[in-house]
Amino acid sequence: MTPVGRQNAGLTGAVTAQARPMFHRVLPASPESVRNTLSDIRKRFRTNVDEDAMGRLELVLAEVMNNVTEHAAAVPEGEVMDHLPSIHLSVVMHDSGLSCAISDDGVLLPDECIKPRGLPVMDDADLPEGGFGWYLIQDLTQALCYYREGQRNFLAFSIPFADVAHEVGA
Amino acid sequence: MQFDVTDTDSALIILVGESRIDAAIATSFKDKLREVILRHRKPVEMRMSSVDFMDSSGLGAMIALRKAMPQDLGMSLIGMTPNVERVFRLTRMDSVFDIRAAATDEEQKE
Repeated sequence: MTPVGRQNAGLTGAVTAQARPMFHRVLPASPESVRNTLSDIRKRFRTNVDEDAMGRLELVLAEVMNNVTEHAAAVPEGEVMDHLPSIHLSVVMHDSGLSCAISDDGVLLPDECIKPRGLPVMDDADLPEGGFGWYLIQDLTQALCYYREGQRNFLAFSIPFADVAHEVGA
Repeated sequence: MQFDVTDTDSALIILVGESRIDAAIATSFKDKLREVILRHRKPVEMRMSSVDFMDSSGLGAMIALRKAMPQDLGMSLIGMTPNVERVFRLTRMDSVFDIRAAATDEEQKE
């Protein structure tokens, strides 16, 4: 195709390129910027991803980023927090799901978050009000992996389009 | 914080107007509604159909409100969207709350 032909390819030319939406953002670890980012991710993938997968993606990303935000707020006594941790987030769509990579320069993620875990103990007289976040992340993701390098945490995982994790387990 | 409270004879109806019960508002949501619940001391019906998203912070706030209910008084969650229902189901908290579908117009006429 000549350069002029390329310029005149129009919408049809763009569609045949099979471009898929992706999302990348660097954001400060605050509840408001997490909220805005989740809303923008929903807008970005709305036409390509069904509501069920979108809901699972949104929940997992919220839990991961809330975790960074909450631990940033809990700075140990005697230490000064001079800036909020920065979160780098990428979401890429492929045939069977959405792949996510998240890194942050917040505190070290404790091992027990990544180790397989169950729900918090259900005591009817004193129901747990927390401890659900990492359970939800583990339950809804595939190929969850974590490492720390230098001052950053790196986390990667996939959200399958079909909820195959549960079908296999059933 | 968006919610409307209607005090009927038999129950307190709380219409939740927030579209997201997440980490950004969970604490103030819990504190404000706990105050309302303790003031009225009646069974509570929470109308949830405007809530599109809830994370585990929001779930924690709902559990704290359930625990704040005076003994023997129930809390019903009515008209949850599928996204919100998922969080209760995956954490097994659907067994702790009385969860009901919103009555359709037709059912209300009957």
